[in-house]
Amino acid sequence: MTKEKIKQIVLDIIAEIAPDEELTDVKPEVRLRDQLDLDSMDFLDIVMELRKQHGIDVPEAEYRELESLDSCANYLLPKFEAAAAA
Amino acid sequence: MSGNHYDVVVIGAGLSGLSAATRLGMFGKKVLLLEKHYVVGGLNSFYAKKGRKFDVGLHALTNFPSEHSGKKSPLLKLCRQLRIPFESLDLQPQSHSKILFPDRSLHFTNNFDYFVDQIQQNFATSFNAFQHLLQKMESFPAYSVNAEELSTRTVLQESGIDPLLAEMLLCPTCYYGSAQSNDIDFPTFVMLFDAIFRQGLARPRNGIRAILDPLCKKLKELGVERRMNTAVKRLHSKNNKIEEIELESGESIFADQIISTCGVVETELILGNDYASNEHPEVGDFSVIESISVIEGKPTDYGWDETVIFFNDSEKFHYQCPEDYVDLRSGVICLPQNYQLNSDCSEFKLRITHPANFSKWEGLTEKSYLSEKEHFQDKILQNGLEYLDNSKINKNFFTQKILVRDTFTPKTIKRFTSHENGTLYGSPTKTRDGSTFYQNLFLAGTDQGYIGIVGAMLGGIAIANNQILRAG
Repeated sequence: MTKEKIKQIVLDIIAEIAPDEELTDVKPEVRLRDQLDLDSMDFLDIVMELRKQHGIDVPEAEYRELESLDSCANYLLPKFEAAAAA
Repeated sequence: MSGNHYDVVVIGAGLSGLSAATRLGMFGKKVLLLEKHYVVGGLNSFYAKKGRKFDVGLHALTNFPSEHSGKKSPLLKLCRQLRIPFESLDLQPQSHSKILFPDRSLHFTNNFDYFVDQIQQNFATSFNAFQHLLQKMESFPAYSVNAEELSTRTVLQESGIDPLLAEMLLCPTCYYGSAQSNDIDFPTFVMLFDAIFRQGLARPRNGIRAILDPLCKKLKELGVERRMNTAVKRLHSKNNKIEEIELESGESIFADQIISTCGVVETELILGNDYASNEHPEVGDFSVIESISVIEGKPTDYGWDETVIFFNDSEKFHYQCPEDYVDLRSGVICLPQNYQLNSDCSEFKLRITHPANFSKWEGLTEKSYLSEKEHFQDKILQNGLEYLDNSKINKNFFTQKILVRDTFTPKTIKRFTSHENGTLYGSPTKTRDGSTFYQNLFLAGTDQGYIGIVGAMLGGIAIANNQILRAG
């Protein structure tokens, strides 16, 4: 698993839950909320899809770690690696 | 896990129950959806008569995201949450609607500026006070679960706007969502004001089934089990937890969590002697009668181009359970055909709604029920025509243009919704976050205080998200 792959996984999830958003120019270092029309309900869906599709658990207190694609990659990489090792 | 054990049981397949079950099914919960009636939709259901399809509740879908109100509509939010493409609703925006009082009328469209302009023209001396009221409404946390339940009547009085304008603003907002008599709580008023005036009215081209059918299809694909004609007899509890759901058939069902959408009062009833809280919700009593006439031609042939007309016969708005069968002094007229103004049609529906008394209708024998219905059907139509442009109508000739008529009463509403007293908007007691005395029982739907089709759906989604999915 690489950080780039994780960013793509998150983008694919966003495409699924918010099909009306334009995702080609999402800047990885900028907060997702600042460039896309996403609210707390959408972030819940990102978390739920990570659990459903990849068995990754994100506790509610750590939702803010998902604020940008870069922070998603940093935060989720160890979780994906742990899941792969298990 | 055995066959009669579920992660979540959802009671009621109205819009809040369907929405909650969809969200839970999407994320792998084992869900059972129970419905007492033989059709889904609850208040927003449908039926067929003489080869024609009728919607029960749907006058209008509020919160239409028009070019003026932009992308912020909760309607877009709920489509996203349920993963239903917004375009699939095939929404037809209203032509225009009006609030009609003696000697004064306010027109509105899906452009809020037009409505503000109407108020400026009709109530020039109140316009400053009205603008302050708008600011107050914008800064009021109406959508928060902790919003303060102020009386709208009091807020409007204190705002200094013309008393007639206050009555005219109460009229559509009460009709589209108040469980109280002659008032509406302020958070609900603000939400409905946004939903009706700031956003706007629309209707799916195919009526309520444009929403119900995709939800039912999705539930099936997600493996959510749905049982119709299945009433819950009792919820059995132990140590403030619901342990068993007993069906009318005698069967027992077990669930980790339960979402009841049947209403706060109705949920108390199925708890029976197990109801352990000292707080009793207030029983609502606001219900309506609606008379529908299917008429030959197009509405514009008769000079009718409005979509919805909220009317009242005097300067003081009447909104309460009447002492008589029906209160003809105020009501709502809806011409669903005028969501597609000037489109071709050979016949159209005229729907006229008035406050009505459940106990009076309930107390009638079968035979007198039918004759009273017949009697009021005529009165309602004659009365309603007074609020429409009747200059083009030849009264003797007009009756021949009526192809079919049907009327539903508070008894019909009870049959579809199971609400005590056939209430349209449930109990005046609202629990916004859906929590109850029981740790695994949550309420969703009308008694959460989120109103209308959009409100019911968002309410169901919010309970599924916040009380069940977030917790893991």
